[in-house]
Amino acid sequence: MIPFLDLLAVEPHAVAEGDGGVVGEILRTFKVDWPFFISQCVSFLIVAVLLKKFAFGPIQNMLEQRKSRIAEGEEKLKRIEQQLAESEATTAAAIAKANEEATRLIQEARDSAAALSESKAQEAVAQAQSILAKAEAAAKAEREQIAAELKKEFGRLVTATTAQVTGKVLSDDDMRRINDEALAKVEA
Amino acid sequence: MFSRRSIFLILFAWLGSFAPAMAAEGGHDHLPAHAEEVLHLGPFVITNSMLVVWIVAGLIILVAQAATKNLQLIPSGLQNAVEWLVEGLYVFLEGILGPHLVKRTFWFFGTIFVLILFTNWAGLFPGIGTIGWSLSGSGVDPHDTFRPFFRGANADLNMTAAMAFTFAILWFYWAITENGLKGFLAHIFAPKGKFGGVMMVLMIVVFLFVGVLEVVSILFRPVALSFRLYGNIFAGENILENMMMVVGDKKWLAWLPPIPFYFMELLVGLIQALVFTLLTSVFLKLICDHGDHHDEEHHH
Repeated sequence: MIPFLDLLAVEPHAVAEGDGGVVGEILRTFKVDWPFFISQCVSFLIVAVLLKKFAFGPIQNMLEQRKSRIAEGEEKLKRIEQQLAESEATTAAAIAKANEEATRLIQEARDSAAALSESKAQEAVAQAQSILAKAEAAAKAEREQIAAELKKEFGRLVTATTAQVTGKVLSDDDMRRINDEALAKVEA
Repeated sequence: MFSRRSIFLILFAWLGSFAPAMAAEGGHDHLPAHAEEVLHLGPFVITNSMLVVWIVAGLIILVAQAATKNLQLIPSGLQNAVEWLVEGLYVFLEGILGPHLVKRTFWFFGTIFVLILFTNWAGLFPGIGTIGWSLSGSGVDPHDTFRPFFRGANADLNMTAAMAFTFAILWFYWAITENGLKGFLAHIFAPKGKFGGVMMVLMIVVFLFVGVLEVVSILFRPVALSFRLYGNIFAGENILENMMMVVGDKKWLAWLPPIPFYFMELLVGLIQALVFTLLTSVFLKLICDHGDHHDEEHHH
């Protein structure tokens, strides 16, 4: 029924006696001869070249383009990530620097405030002391003035009393002496 | 995905395709082991398997052109499907051949895989092997009066041999350009490893003998590749043909028995395309692997 199965059933010596032996019989069975084989080779080569040019070529180009686009994208992403990392590092450094500066400024402000507070306190103390001294001086002057006035009034009263008691007109020297004596007794 | 109308149309066409075979009563009692001549173009013979190759290649080109006509940054639909197939195949071959070799040879291995796969599947289409014309006149074999227009492309030993021998020639070309002639010969005949003194002489003799065996193996590769692919596909076509005949006189039922085998042949078509592509790529990798080992040794 099927020639190649018939071929397998043929005894080897019978085949060997045929034209071209086993190989010749196989080639005849499957009709492998030069015109058919060469035609198929030419046909296959044409098909392969056409497929390369019109089928695989465009698709491979498309895939290459996409691959290069993806590679570019990845490269860009890497660059962006690198830039982001650099930017983050720069920002962190700037923040650290700003923190340091702020700490320094705060410290300076604290020191300055402390110094100012000290100076103001000292100033206030000085002012208070000066006010106190002035007040004391004013009180002293007032007291002295009152004392002088009292002395003067007391002297006038003593001399007036003495003049009325003695009935004599007192000279300036008498009045000064009586005043001094009276004041010395009062003060003592 | 498919409308009910289109499903009915496909079923109708499929069932209708059995009509010529049924009509050719007594004219086509077995599937011939070889492709048949459809016409002659000068010294070139156009066979029915060749026509299927051209139709499939034309369809592949049309699909590729349609997919790449309006390229989108985010692919969808046909562009997505085609990209998936080609990129998947590229990555798969890159895993075997490495990034350098795959860039050089993808056009060939891609063609081999896609062409074998789709011609295998195209061979299952209704009308392939069943639509043709009847021969008459003297000199016509009374048991073979039917000539189909189309035949499963890989059910033709000339076709599989053409691919295998083309690969064999390209294999030599790629192997020599990658290794240099001296490196190529050294890869086959030179002793592997470091030996000295008498051991070195002994190893040279042993590896020369191994080299001769390797040459025989290399020469037989295209033959094995051709027969493996042809045998599997031709056997599948025979099964389908014979399954249609098991119903005997009840020819209206001829469509039923082959159905399970259609699913099997879909799988066989894919597996055979993979096997052919894998074997050819591994053969190339084996001969071009020489330089990589040197590199690795240098790294070590």
